[in-house]
Amino acid sequence: MKMQFFKVLGVVLLVGSLNACREKDPEPEVYELGVMVLNSGNFFDNNGSVSYFKREKTTAIVDLFEQENNRSFNGGVQGYAETGEHSLILVDNDKAGLDKVEIVNLGKWTSEASLGAPDIENPRSVVGISPTKAYVSCYGATGVYPNYFANPGYVAVIDLTTLKVVKKIPAPMGAEKMVKLGNEVFLGNASGANELLVIDATTDAVKRTLKIGAGPEPISPDVNGKLWIKTGFSVVRLNPQTDQVEANMRVGTDSRKSPSSFAVTPDGRGFYYIYSFYDSVSGVDKGETHYFSIEDTSIPGNKPVINRAFTGLGVDPLQGLIYGGVTPSYKQAGYVVRYRPSGEKLDSIKVGIAPSGFFFK
Amino acid sequence: MFLLAVRRASERPSLRPYHIALAFAISTTAFAQRDTIMLEPVTVVGFAPERFMAGLKIQRLDSATLRQFRFQSIGDLLAFNTPLAFKNYGPGRLNTVSFRGTSAQHTAVLWNGLNINQPNLGQTDFSTLPVAGFERLSVQYGASASAVGTDAVGGSILLESSGIQPTGIRLLVGRRQASFGNQQTQAGASYGTEIGKKWHFSGKTLYYDGRMKNKYPYTERSGYYMEPSVAEQRGFVQDLILAGKKGRQLSAHLWLTDNGSTLTPENPDARQLTRTQSRRALVHYQTPTWTWRTAFTRDLIDFGAGDYSQLDHTATDRFLTHLEKEMAWQLGEAGAKVSLRVGGEVAHYRTRVDDYTAAFISENRADLFALSRCQFGPRWLVSANVRQAFVTRFDPPLTPSLGAEYRLLNGPKYHLTAKGSVSRSYRVPTLNERYWKVLGNPEIRPESGLNKEMGLEAKWHPAESQQVTASLTAYHNRVDDWTYWNPDRNYRVENLQLVVARGVEAQAQWRAIFPNWQTGTTLGYALNRSSQERVYNAYADDIVGKQLVYVPVHQGTFNAYAQRGVFRFTTQVRGQTRSFTTFDNSNDLPGYVLVNLLAEVTGQRGHWRADLQAQANNIFDALYLNVGRNAMPGRSFSLNLLLTYNSESK
Repeated sequence: MKMQFFKVLGVVLLVGSLNACREKDPEPEVYELGVMVLNSGNFFDNNGSVSYFKREKTTAIVDLFEQENNRSFNGGVQGYAETGEHSLILVDNDKAGLDKVEIVNLGKWTSEASLGAPDIENPRSVVGISPTKAYVSCYGATGVYPNYFANPGYVAVIDLTTLKVVKKIPAPMGAEKMVKLGNEVFLGNASGANELLVIDATTDAVKRTLKIGAGPEPISPDVNGKLWIKTGFSVVRLNPQTDQVEANMRVGTDSRKSPSSFAVTPDGRGFYYIYSFYDSVSGVDKGETHYFSIEDTSIPGNKPVINRAFTGLGVDPLQGLIYGGVTPSYKQAGYVVRYRPSGEKLDSIKVGIAPSGFFFK
Repeated sequence: MFLLAVRRASERPSLRPYHIALAFAISTTAFAQRDTIMLEPVTVVGFAPERFMAGLKIQRLDSATLRQFRFQSIGDLLAFNTPLAFKNYGPGRLNTVSFRGTSAQHTAVLWNGLNINQPNLGQTDFSTLPVAGFERLSVQYGASASAVGTDAVGGSILLESSGIQPTGIRLLVGRRQASFGNQQTQAGASYGTEIGKKWHFSGKTLYYDGRMKNKYPYTERSGYYMEPSVAEQRGFVQDLILAGKKGRQLSAHLWLTDNGSTLTPENPDARQLTRTQSRRALVHYQTPTWTWRTAFTRDLIDFGAGDYSQLDHTATDRFLTHLEKEMAWQLGEAGAKVSLRVGGEVAHYRTRVDDYTAAFISENRADLFALSRCQFGPRWLVSANVRQAFVTRFDPPLTPSLGAEYRLLNGPKYHLTAKGSVSRSYRVPTLNERYWKVLGNPEIRPESGLNKEMGLEAKWHPAESQQVTASLTAYHNRVDDWTYWNPDRNYRVENLQLVVARGVEAQAQWRAIFPNWQTGTTLGYALNRSSQERVYNAYADDIVGKQLVYVPVHQGTFNAYAQRGVFRFTTQVRGQTRSFTTFDNSNDLPGYVLVNLLAEVTGQRGHWRADLQAQANNIFDALYLNVGRNAMPGRSFSLNLLLTYNSESK
């Protein structure tokens, strides 16, 4: 009896170990075609992440970086871009001097480099310029309210061959969102300045500044190649060839609400946006998701597509579905809710904390 | 034998506090010299009503342990010797406790019977209390609001200043030099003299000054950054005691603390300073039956960033007076011994905080209590207590408790005691919770807690030279209307949650003294399963039943020492499983095990004595994270030297 017991035990152990061997050597997963969700995390917990799922799935890999690298970002996720063979993730730690740009292999998501202070401080936006070059806009070291922008901003030029910051293009304080159009990069501003900065992507030098309006935030080009920019409660349409502002429309008429999170439709003929306000009585953001067409001559903001506001908004260029990021609280996992363009709800997927942006691939 | 007699004396109605306290002082000195390791410290006429906590578990840390940690904070001491969990923001930075699965506001910290939780925050930063600042420490497990008052929901930490000092003068100077440019200096004296035939005057003075430069030779550990920070800690302790021989004692105690910690000190735009200062003064008078104490505390917090031109200032003063009378009866010749302690406390709070609803807010609080202790024969001990607190514009509940102990086995070499307790608890909301503009809530209700626990305690002398003690406790603590800063309402404070904490604590200790050497081992384990059980929003399904944040489910400590002659070697181990950082347990700080090694040697020549201690902390260089997911330091070393001069030693 005893011998038999050991035989059985031996077989069990053998099978077990063979199985273990089989599981140890999987084909490395390649994260292509799918959706990257940028989760900003809870600021003081430094627990941002990037979630990934394939479009046909309703479950996500919540922290793709941790899965592939056995460590987490240790900061909020502030921006994301892909170029050449690389993905770049902007990571914002709550402590000064600990922010960084994580560079990972495009398909495998294995870490290639971490670029930190003093090259990178308070990174805000990233764009790929070429397969071997990327721009990261930074605030620099920030101060304290009311002098939050204590230093001038800059755009860090990253050489993706050496994985190093090779140049800092000086920018005004509050250097914020960037959009690349042709061979030019338009840099927005968060400090209340009125100008957009235009950078030549070949020479890495400032070409000119464009006076737009308070806190200009470039959104994206439309189907006609015109650049749409948010400023204050309005959007403007800029002809990047002539630098002419062709249209300037106030978004909505509700004095409490402000527009945010603009997302261009796949056909480039319209934008979705969130129109919301912070309700100090209930302590929550209230609002809806709206749409306007580039042909519209006014944006009344009174016919929501989805009767709900989100912490992040995206439109999938492949399927045209609207993606809304839901943050029940900054102390628990968020959800991505998907809608048809009509506003009909499809499904929801659990992701990381505070989903605030999307990247569709 | 001497101490046994003392303990019996302490149970007698006609106490002789002076003799007892003096005996205690001598015994702790003896203890410190480690001649009498078997002796247990006995709290005699203490400030805290431990005698009325029948049925509750009380762990007293011995003076040898306190001495080993005398250059460290109470947070380090408790982490390696108790199953308390800590939420640590980094070396020299905020460090708060979770006792039995509760939050930082649910542990009462008492100094000489005075609750010293910072009134605005309702919690204690354990990094600001150095072990050198007090003489005795007991950890009392479980709700004891009826005996202690507010905040005693998960348990209490009871600190006491030094008692009566022996005649003569003792001078002390100490220095710690540690890795990363960290150091601490201490200087002090204790003294005592007879005044005539009836009085004995004694005191203790101590100044300490610590600097943490935290100059790590690395900027990250395994991909996790080190936070640049510096910290400074200064403090002054003064105790004066006039003891009469008829059981009268007048004492005055002062503890000033001043702690500053700066994040990213090298960055002039983004550096952040947090400075916390506390001034605590207390006068205590007691006769064999009456105790009176009056206290003043001032707590200051300054927070600023950048050029520090605008510091957020928080200032809270408290005036407190406490009076109690103790009575005792013997019912019949062999009947029950009954003690009754009745008393009251009044306190006046004055606070100035920029972001409160008014520039200046004052509030009055009062407590009335009756504590009883009945000893029925050799086996039964029962405590029934009740307390009613009164607070301006607030209505705390009546808080009763009932505890009992029964001696199951009572042999010459062993005994086994069963314990049980049921108690209500309450917590007066913090000043922030009530008065903070926008986020505070003037309508906040009292939390209502019910704690039940039972346990076994055993002691066994397998041989003349050996002693084994062990205890096993199970508890269930249900706190309704648990207030919390609701993150889905922009962190406004609300009575939203129902928290149920339940768990098991096990502790075992073995000590042996042989002719030339001695050794001892302590093992501790705690399971704390603490969860929020109420559905209050659409996404609560993800949260209900999940483990509370920053409360590891399993924790363990292990300590072992061996001593031969003047040499002593100690190992300290602490391990905990992961602690979640999100309500839905989707995110956590990984578990870890820390191991420290200590080697100590003592030398004595004439009146002089030197204690040299070499410490290696985190010897396996374990990676563990602070609350902000940045790395805590790896392996580090320190050398501590304590020089004492004793006028009485030969």
